[in-house]
Amino acid sequence: MLRFVAISSLKNRYFWKVTVKEIMERRVMHMDLDSFFVSVERLQNSALMGKPVIICGSSDRGVVSSCSYEARQFGVHSAMSAKLARQLCPQGIFISGDMDAYSKHSRIVTEIIESRAPVVEKASIDEHYLDISGMDKYIKTATLWAHELRETIMQQTGLPISFGLSNNKTVSKIATNEAKPNGEKYIDLGLEKQFLAPLSIKKMPGVGDKTYVQLRSMGIEKIETVQQMQVGLFQRVMGENGVLIWKRCNAIDNNPVEPYSEQKSMSTETTFDKDTTDVQHLKRMVVSMVHELAFQLRKQEKVTGCVTLKLRYSDFQTHTFQMKIPYTASDHVIQKKLLELLDKNYTRRVLIRLIGIKFSHLVNGFNQINLFDDTEEMVKLYQAMDKIRLKFGDSAIKKAGGLGMGRRGEGHLPPGKDA
Amino acid sequence: MNFVVSSGALLKQLKSIGGVLNSSNTIPILDCFLFEVAKGELTLSASDMETTITTSLKVEASESGSLAIPAKTLLEALSNLPEQPISIIVEKSKLTAKLKTANGDYTLTGHNGEEYPKLPKLESQSSIVIKSDILLSAINKTIFATGNDDLRPVMSGVFCQFNETNSIFVATDAHKLVRYTRNDAKAGSVAGFIMPKKPLNVLKGLLSGIDDAVKIEFNKTNALYSFGSINLVCRLIDGKYPNYEAVIPKQNPNKLTIDRSQLLGALKRVSVFANKATHQIRLKVAGSSLTVSAEDLDFANDGTEHLVCTYIGEDMEIGFNSKFLVEMVSNLDSDEITIEMSAPNRAGIILPSQKSNPGEDVLMLVMPVMLNN
Repeated sequence: MLRFVAISSLKNRYFWKVTVKEIMERRVMHMDLDSFFVSVERLQNSALMGKPVIICGSSDRGVVSSCSYEARQFGVHSAMSAKLARQLCPQGIFISGDMDAYSKHSRIVTEIIESRAPVVEKASIDEHYLDISGMDKYIKTATLWAHELRETIMQQTGLPISFGLSNNKTVSKIATNEAKPNGEKYIDLGLEKQFLAPLSIKKMPGVGDKTYVQLRSMGIEKIETVQQMQVGLFQRVMGENGVLIWKRCNAIDNNPVEPYSEQKSMSTETTFDKDTTDVQHLKRMVVSMVHELAFQLRKQEKVTGCVTLKLRYSDFQTHTFQMKIPYTASDHVIQKKLLELLDKNYTRRVLIRLIGIKFSHLVNGFNQINLFDDTEEMVKLYQAMDKIRLKFGDSAIKKAGGLGMGRRGEGHLPPGKDA
Repeated sequence: MNFVVSSGALLKQLKSIGGVLNSSNTIPILDCFLFEVAKGELTLSASDMETTITTSLKVEASESGSLAIPAKTLLEALSNLPEQPISIIVEKSKLTAKLKTANGDYTLTGHNGEEYPKLPKLESQSSIVIKSDILLSAINKTIFATGNDDLRPVMSGVFCQFNETNSIFVATDAHKLVRYTRNDAKAGSVAGFIMPKKPLNVLKGLLSGIDDAVKIEFNKTNALYSFGSINLVCRLIDGKYPNYEAVIPKQNPNKLTIDRSQLLGALKRVSVFANKATHQIRLKVAGSSLTVSAEDLDFANDGTEHLVCTYIGEDMEIGFNSKFLVEMVSNLDSDEITIEMSAPNRAGIILPSQKSNPGEDVLMLVMPVMLNN
């Protein structure tokens, strides 16, 4: 088992102690739950089977976080606005989603995988990377083992899952996408480039809409074309990112499967039901979001040293403003700073579509009590509120100033997390 | 204007007042010392607009006048000269100062002395006389606890209060607080002001090794400290000092007494293993054992030490910023110290167990961090 750790979890510095052959012959597996949110909904309500199901916010303003394959036939895809989805697929069943249930099922899947695989990286709520290099010493074959793992997960959880298996993370992820839905794909050693060659460049992770347009304007449609080109050209045109894309297209990705990574920031955001210029409303929303996030901060025994405010105007122009602060986990300190940022920067009087906050520079530690700002009652109030929330859930107690802020704190959905 | 002065004496005086000058200034004249000669006396001044300090020495002068001379160049030139009398000849029309020495002649170009910031005149002032050693130890004991927050300027200074029975000096940055009381320094009337940090640091340098009494004259905006040949005028911090008495807890049933140097050593060693950004450590008291521990989850480092102490009260666990504790414990000078506490979310008070000076009363307070338990 030690061998796997040596290959996967050590950083680049130690990487060279592992032979090139060992890197080239890794067996990296990418597992992805098929339309995960929909699958969980179907577990809870079998009437949804075989029907176009779309998970999105409760209002017309949200975006699609997940949709069933039946819905995809109508052109619906994740991250599309809910309004458009409704127009494309009026017969679809729209569900507002239950983040708590999704997290629960996700944990169950992770537990099954961790009980069997030596090195597991949970990449998102429905994605896992596994490094199973060298397992063939102990098991029949990697392919058979992977197949059995998939069967087990589907049997025990009832959730369809797909996977791709190759010698690196990028190729495995693309293989999973090709295998979906409910499939598995093995890329034999040495055949990675060949597998990628006929695929559209758009399937490459890291190629978004902008990059895609740029690549198409360079005459590149298939990954094959990139494989025939020189890396220097990509570097000139797109800089470091270009080199990364070129490498990936050539099936070069030495990134290890990292079982644990430190959280660097935490954030939350809200899209309004209706674009607004109501400053009071915006402030109340900030208060409510701080209340929610600062609790997470304290729960994880962390303090933040930098807060960020994000504003998206109705014309989709997005601005972020950040401020360094002394390390803290106090609602009222963070709230004051963010409201200051809002006051200072919301000057355009343009309708606001979305508001978000982010805490970064996270450090393990506890909140330093202030002699003058924190009265004893205040300190006790925080402790009591946190205790209630730990016991009865995040939304058990709220600040009056943040009341009536829609579904805040009840597990809103991140857009496009599910495939 | 020209005069003859000992190079060593001049350098010593200039160095003592040079601390006031800022290293970079927008107005070039603030990079200069002001030289004024009148009636056989040379007056040297340094100013940063907020604080102005002057000192004087006797010279052989043939005519009076003034010139502002660039400080950095002059200090460098003087510190490389062997001790000797030098004559300085100022040409007002060219704004130059020529230093005639046994080694050679040097010319510096300065600024018109009349443009130098003037010492503000103090009107409707009160005054107090205080012994220099009392003032010096008051500065030493309090200045480290002042804050740096631009948003709360009052906390960036030391609050000095004088009354008929004692003098009290207070500094706080909202996380730690020091109250230094001298029962042997009294004033005729009740008065108080907030001294900024920078002139206090300058005073600290000037007062060591001086035995004179210091006369403090002040009004609402400025304070003048005079002792020996030195006059220091500074602008006071305007504002209301927070009500510090209200935040010092009176009921502290848990009392921990411990050897100061042992605790300091343990804190310094254990804090190495604390998180480098938050410096947080835990103190756990049970019976007569104090456990000091710290951990840095990012690097999986941790440190623990066990110390023997005398403890009265319930067992408790409390978290502190180790930097604050180290600063406070190293600023006390008794052999043993007492830490008084009540609850993990309330202030800890650090007191010397024995008084080294009967007229002195030190109280240090530190706020804990809110541990999740």
